[in-house]
Amino acid sequence: MNAVIRTEQLVKRFGHVTALDRLDLEVAQGETHGFLGPNGAGKSTTIRVLLGMLRSDDGRAELFGADPWKDAATLHKRLAYVPGDVALWPGLTGGETIDLLGRLRGGIDKAKRDELLERFDLDPRKKGRSYSKGNRQKVALVAAFAADVDLLLLDEPTSGLDPLMGAVFNECVKEASAAGRTVLLSSHIMSEVEALCDRVSIIRKGVIVETGTLAEMRHFSRSRLRATLKNPLRGLGDHEGVHDLKVDGLDIECSVDTAALDDVLAQLAVAGVAGLTCEPPSLEEIFLRFYGDELAASGVPNGESK
Amino acid sequence: MTAAVAELEDGLGTLAGTGNLLRFQLRRSRLYLLGWLAGLAGGTWLVAQSFPGLYPDAAGREAYALTVNTPAMRSMTGPETYIEAYGASTGAMFAHQMILWTGTLTAVMFLLLVTRLTRADEETSRSEVFRANPIGRRADLAAALLLAGLAAVALGALMALAVAALPGGQDGSAILFGLAHTAIAVLFAGVAAVTAQLASFASTANGLAFAVIGWSAFTAGVGNAQENWAVWLSPVGWAQETFVYTPDQRWWPLAFAGIVAVLTVWLAFALVTHRDFGQGMMAARLGRAEAKPGLNSATALTFRLTKGVFWAGIITMLLLGAAYGSVLGGADDMLEGLSETERAVLERGGSSIEENITATFVALNGLFASLFGLLIVGRARKEETQGRGELIAAGAVPRSGWPGSYLPAALWAATAATVVAGVFLGLGGASSLGDGSYFATGLWASLLQLPAVWALTAFAFAAFAWLPRLGWLRWLAWVWLFIVLYFATLLELPEWAQAVSPFHHLAAYPAEDVDWLSAALVTAAALALAALGYAGARRRDLSFN
Repeated sequence: MNAVIRTEQLVKRFGHVTALDRLDLEVAQGETHGFLGPNGAGKSTTIRVLLGMLRSDDGRAELFGADPWKDAATLHKRLAYVPGDVALWPGLTGGETIDLLGRLRGGIDKAKRDELLERFDLDPRKKGRSYSKGNRQKVALVAAFAADVDLLLLDEPTSGLDPLMGAVFNECVKEASAAGRTVLLSSHIMSEVEALCDRVSIIRKGVIVETGTLAEMRHFSRSRLRATLKNPLRGLGDHEGVHDLKVDGLDIECSVDTAALDDVLAQLAVAGVAGLTCEPPSLEEIFLRFYGDELAASGVPNGESK
Repeated sequence: MTAAVAELEDGLGTLAGTGNLLRFQLRRSRLYLLGWLAGLAGGTWLVAQSFPGLYPDAAGREAYALTVNTPAMRSMTGPETYIEAYGASTGAMFAHQMILWTGTLTAVMFLLLVTRLTRADEETSRSEVFRANPIGRRADLAAALLLAGLAAVALGALMALAVAALPGGQDGSAILFGLAHTAIAVLFAGVAAVTAQLASFASTANGLAFAVIGWSAFTAGVGNAQENWAVWLSPVGWAQETFVYTPDQRWWPLAFAGIVAVLTVWLAFALVTHRDFGQGMMAARLGRAEAKPGLNSATALTFRLTKGVFWAGIITMLLLGAAYGSVLGGADDMLEGLSETERAVLERGGSSIEENITATFVALNGLFASLFGLLIVGRARKEETQGRGELIAAGAVPRSGWPGSYLPAALWAATAATVVAGVFLGLGGASSLGDGSYFATGLWASLLQLPAVWALTAFAFAAFAWLPRLGWLRWLAWVWLFIVLYFATLLELPEWAQAVSPFHHLAAYPAEDVDWLSAALVTAAALALAALGYAGARRRDLSFN
């Protein structure tokens, strides 16, 4: 597999703060990769190192097999970037900004640009100072999706967009993916990532704590199981794959490791099942599991339970 | 009858909550007000303190009066009536030279104050927070104008105190001087209140109000230069027409300012209820849907974004050059009017006073032209801290293009401003001396300052590239160079302290012969600083917020 983005043991420090602490990230060609983490986890820092704006202190970062710090300008011809908070020039119109950004990559497809303006419902004649946050975001999105590039770096691109425009955004990402583009989508909107991404990396305090497809992640995670039994069942709590068991007469509720589902279902069948629901974990639950201790510190009792 | 009462009640209802709002706005603006009031009144006080010592005797002041009585100098000071009173009154000399500037700064202070309390709050939705409370539709405008009124009275009182000790006044001269500033303040508060209703954005509102200031300075300048009616079209001109501190002192011209203030305030209150919250009377103008073909690189963008600073530099230096040139004709007389210390400043080792003065003027021109280069370097930092540069830096642009293109933009502005100053120094000098050959001397002397202009600008860029957080470094350098140029001989600065200044190394042409070697060395230093700057721009992290 050809990696478009590869970092190995990437370290970035700002003074005493270590923003990236030996971060390993790999994004294959053509995939849409979700980059999940709360604010301050290091998502934007990673992307800025990949853009050659920040110089890494240790480790390696590669973009299309080249060094993003040394070859920034050449590499940037092959990518488009949308920051999370787009600042525009107050005196330039949206249309001028889009054209300028396109020309910096050697030209813009006018038909594509106009089509995107239509789809995102953006007036290109307004000056930068008069756009709302969502509209500023749209300016950068139109410029990025109109560009004929191999890689899209999207850093929380939908912050400020309304749900309608969020749907347009999702369509545009799918089209880009269908056209063979690689997408790195940093986000904390789980539904967006679940809908769009082939693989996901979860970042925490500058380290990738989990990476894989959603199916893989679910496999290593727990399903939520509720059942109403016909007869009382003993010993379920002793099973090492069963967690947070609550028994209320014949009603039971617990989380079960995906690997232990077989076993647990067999035990339930012995007691007789009157009713059963079993939900795979949502991405949100997987995500929150990695942040359980931080949630506890903020007063949320258990990251996994809803 | 009942309808009239209802209307009155409605009218008062729109003002509900003004008192609370006023207290809140006063609290929010206290630093702004303190800073401006202290700066304006304190600066005026300092100058007023130094005047009697600088020009102690009537004969000296009269000699000085001859040099300022040229059209160009009058346009930058005030009417001739003051000049005639120079000998009799130090206060007249002071008021003549100050009112245009303190008056204009007062106008700036009050228009910015009113805009930030009205349109800027509406634009950022801060005032939506107030409007959700039981507060009338006109209350925020009323609070802003009341606050401006209080500040205007405070400013007038402080200005009167600042000049109270000046000799040569008539009855109530100090009070009239203060009142003139109060009048200008109230008038421009009214103007800004109107532009805040017209425009949808604070920047547009300020732009419109600044256009009124430009109008005010322009008509006063033309009117005073030509000695005609144009000065009566100028708000600052009305303050000048009081002839404060002269025997012809009069109060009534300030009534014009009062009338215009009342009219503008009335208009603002009328407009505020005729528009929707958050909107201006003028719709925001739409611009181009597509960029012009020329806007195709980071460099093109940089030059476009710095166009305003560039033209401000050209116009400022055009005026400064012309003013310096116009003084040359009366240089001999001026020398007699100068104090010992001022003569020492001008001493450059030349054979004639014109040569000495020209050498000083061109160095000053170079230093002032560099200001605009420094301002443009500051823009590069602003693009970084405000995050706009991020979109460009993520494009296929090397660091030499962004932020690197700010160096050529800064050099271009500083160079063009120096050349324009040289051309107009030459023209003004040739005309005031009645000697056409001076044009070449003045222009050539100005061009010879360019290596130093480049070195200072390149230093600012290198400082930005290596030490982006220390923006004050470039201003420190500028101020130090100014001190070296102006006060080195007075303060007996050691040679090493002067050697820091690139201007110090250039020969004081035409007072001295051209020194090609030092010109080449300063140019080389500028190149080295530029190279250092580019190396820094390549090396460092870009920190966008």
